This record gives sequence, C-alpha cells and structure tokens, in this order.
Amino acid sequence: MEGIMFYIISIITVGGGLGVLLSKNPYRAAMWMIFSFFGIAGLFVMLHAQFNAMLQIIVYAGAIAVMIMLVMMIMDRRMLESLERFNPQAYWPALIGLALLADLSFLAYKFKINMSNVGKNLTINGSNTQMIGEILFKHYLLPFEVTAIILLVALIGAVVLTKKDIS
Amino acid sequence: MTGYLVVSALLIAIGATGVMIRRNFMIVLMSLEIMINGAGLFLIAMSYYLGNVSGQVMFIFIAAVAASETAVGLAIAVMMYKKKKSIDINDFSILRK
Repeated sequence: MEGIMFYIISIITVGGGLGVLLSKNPYRAAMWMIFSFFGIAGLFVMLHAQFNAMLQIIVYAGAIAVMIMLVMMIMDRRMLESLERFNPQAYWPALIGLALLADLSFLAYKFKINMSNVGKNLTINGSNTQMIGEILFKHYLLPFEVTAIILLVALIGAVVLTKKDIS
Repeated sequence: MTGYLVVSALLIAIGATGVMIRRNFMIVLMSLEIMINGAGLFLIAMSYYLGNVSGQVMFIFIAAVAASETAVGLAIAVMMYKKKKSIDINDFSILRK
C-alpha cells in the first residue's frame, strides 16, 4: 500500500518538474510547479515530517508561487508567451543534466547507512512540531537569528533594486 | 530509501537542466525552486532514516533562504523588464559593453 502511494506521489512530483522544464507558457509552468510542490508535501507526510509538509504548502505553494504569478501578472502577456522555449545550443546543457542525473542516481544506489533507528526520535509526546521547536531553539538559535537577518536584507535589497532606475 | 533518493536526484537534475536550457527568466526561477526542493527532500529523507530531527530544522532554514532568493530574483526580473521590456535571458547583458 505504502509502496503504491509512494509511486503515485513520485510520479506527480517528477511530472510537475518535467512540466516546468518543457512547457512553453510560463503560466502553465507555474501551475506545474505548484503541482510538484504538493507532491513533495505528500512525500514529506510519508516521511513522518508533518510540520514540514504544512510549511511546504504554506511557504512554497502559497507564498513563492503567488509572488512569481504576481510578477508575471504585471508583465506583458504576449511577450511572456512569445519567448522561445530553449536556447539555440541546448544540447550540451541537456547532456550535462543527464550526466548529473546518472551520477546522483549512482550515488543513491551505492548509499548505505546504519538502518537501526529508522523513524525514531522524530516526535516528543507524539508531536513533531514540539520536537522541531526543542532542537531549533536549543541547538540552532544562532542560525535562526542569521536567517532573520537574511530575510531582512533580501527585503531591503528587493525594494532598492526595483526602485532604482537604471539607464 | 533508494526511492526517495532517486526522486531527489531527479528533481535536482530537472532543475539544473531547466536553469541551463530555458530562455524565460521566470521559468529559470521556477527551476531553481524545483532544485531547492530536491535538496530539501534529501534532507527530510535522511532525517527520517537516521532518526535525527536536525534535517527537518535545516529544511526551515532552506525555506527561508529560498523565499529571499526568489524575492531578489523577481526584483532583478522587474528591473530588467522596466529597462528592456523583455525577460529573455539573452537580453540580460547591461554589464557587457
């Protein structure tokens, strides 16, 4: 049962990625991207990471997809749809991508870890969110604050880049 | 376990290929998101199979960095669109004399 669910959700995820790669219309590509994000949220639920599945849906399929669609909304639709699909010399990068896929798949088949504590230590009192909070604020407090600064700097940088008039 | 790692490898390869061969800057940004999601899937899978929740904490950081990267990328896209009226990446050459 779980194997069949895994195959269905993986086909949704990888098919969404291929849709982004191959579709000419960027609006359709954004829809395929949201499809792929929901598939990844399903894979997270299968891996007992419920908090991150909800985070995936809210942040990626909610915020980032809406941000990209809003920017496409203010642009000229005919220009967006009339762009060519691939670079003229797209063969060598596609070959490089295939080589990357072969390399990473080879590593995935050769990868061996100690399987003695699969699925343990992921919850505290049956709650995944509580466990993440414990680890986040006990061991990763400094990276958490640095992430806040990164978000602030990106916000200011985005405002400065869009306001400045280059000539 | 191999299934999850192969799905993650497929997502990373699809995203990298999309960044390299597409001409529309919006789709380049979407391919970057797909690639970041492949890395996040690897982290979550390893967190499950090693029994250590630190991978899930790292995914939160990845989500924050991906959001800021998308904001800056879209700001660059809007800036180039105001200048060139196009988001073809072959037109993005203002630094070249």
